[in-house]
Amino acid sequence: MTSFGRMALVTVLAAFVVLAPNQKINSVLAATAPSVSLNAAQAAPRQVEDTTQKAVARDYAAAWQAMADALDQNRADLLAGNFIGTADEKLTASIDQQRKTGLHQRIVDKGHSVEVVFYSPEGSAMELHDTARLELQVLDGSKVIHSEDATVRYVALLTAAENSWKVRMIEAVPSF
Amino acid sequence: MTNDAIDFEQELSTTLDPVAKAILVCAGVLFVVCCLGLYGFAGELNVPATVTAGNGLSVPTSGSGDATFYLVGPGTAIKRTVQLGGNVHLTADDLQNAGRYIIALDGNSASFYVSAAPVHSIALLARPSRVPADTPNVITGTAFLFDRYQNLVLQPQPVKFDLEVNGQSVTRTETSKDGVAYTKLNSSKKEGPAQFVASSGNASVRRVVQEVASDPCNIRMTAQRDPRGILVRTDPIRDCAGNPVPDGTIVTFTSTDSQGKSTVDARIKRGIAQAQLPASNDATISVASGVVVGNEIKWRNE
Repeated sequence: MTSFGRMALVTVLAAFVVLAPNQKINSVLAATAPSVSLNAAQAAPRQVEDTTQKAVARDYAAAWQAMADALDQNRADLLAGNFIGTADEKLTASIDQQRKTGLHQRIVDKGHSVEVVFYSPEGSAMELHDTARLELQVLDGSKVIHSEDATVRYVALLTAAENSWKVRMIEAVPSF
Repeated sequence: MTNDAIDFEQELSTTLDPVAKAILVCAGVLFVVCCLGLYGFAGELNVPATVTAGNGLSVPTSGSGDATFYLVGPGTAIKRTVQLGGNVHLTADDLQNAGRYIIALDGNSASFYVSAAPVHSIALLARPSRVPADTPNVITGTAFLFDRYQNLVLQPQPVKFDLEVNGQSVTRTETSKDGVAYTKLNSSKKEGPAQFVASSGNASVRRVVQEVASDPCNIRMTAQRDPRGILVRTDPIRDCAGNPVPDGTIVTFTSTDSQGKSTVDARIKRGIAQAQLPASNDATISVASGVVVGNEIKWRNE
């Protein structure tokens, strides 16, 4: 093969590689819970005690880790203990649908800035505004069909359970 | 064909050996096919920024041929083959859950939000379930507003809280914020089961809060000799609104004499409390319940 031929071949193949969709897949699952920075200064009508703040931050981070793992591995059992009610039902439905269609999601969690906006007078329910920085990928098998770095805002309702806070509802919203 | 193109073709045919030429042609074809397949004929995906839950959506596509369409969102993961050039129809069932959705088609992807539909149901936390009557800001109600798909309705909505007992009603209207409205209400003067109702639009929910007499307003007792000592008994015990203090409330009788102090705790039964105190020739007897102290009797055994 002549030098021109080799150069043309390399150029074409390089272009193919460069222009192909980003196939980079972060296969490392969240080994540790994501960072959650929680601000309860504006909580109303009840103030949030220090120990409760720590518990909520811990349990909310654990919930996100569980959700990321469950949506990646399509295993609803990984949600248990962190989600109840509507949140549990909708996430389970997502996982069920994903399994049927061969899809899964990868969430690389880069941290949450969380503000407590409501803490019920009797202390059993709490609403959070969460600004999450995420690297999101949707995959069909091993093929990435969507990938983005996004800042997503979530409204979450948490319920006090026996010894932890559980996510009862979580919805992404365009703005607070 | 231009002269440059002819020159390039001639140069290609003269400078490449047949194998390299074949590889180059295959690679070029592969490149074009991949580009068309992965990036597709479809243009940008045009979707609205926000859709109301339970409404369908049509996503226009351009180009030709078949492609795989994806929709991933809360409670949803759809994959289907669609014909490019037409509209992809998403049904109301596909878009029930509020949140962020991602659609992908032929290498393009876009995101949009689904917001809650109008209020359809209310979850009401009413605390406590049993309260003393005639006490300010003792009943709290927290209402969470949901649409028919169990999405939290984040748009501000008026929520009416109504507390009614024995025909007396207290009403307060609050505006929800981020799907939640709450209030604090006084308990009624009269005891009884209070109907606590929260409503918004056509949705309402009811809870029962048992209002009971609060602390006794005053306690009056009498004492009389008894074969086994001194029998003390209260008059019917009521709160300051005239409600009988509930049976089971503890009333403490105390007798103090030269031998020391004797204390007996008795529960109110059928509105009154009574107890047997040890016999004494000269005692001071007092009665109390909670923070309320009743009358005092100087007992002389004559």
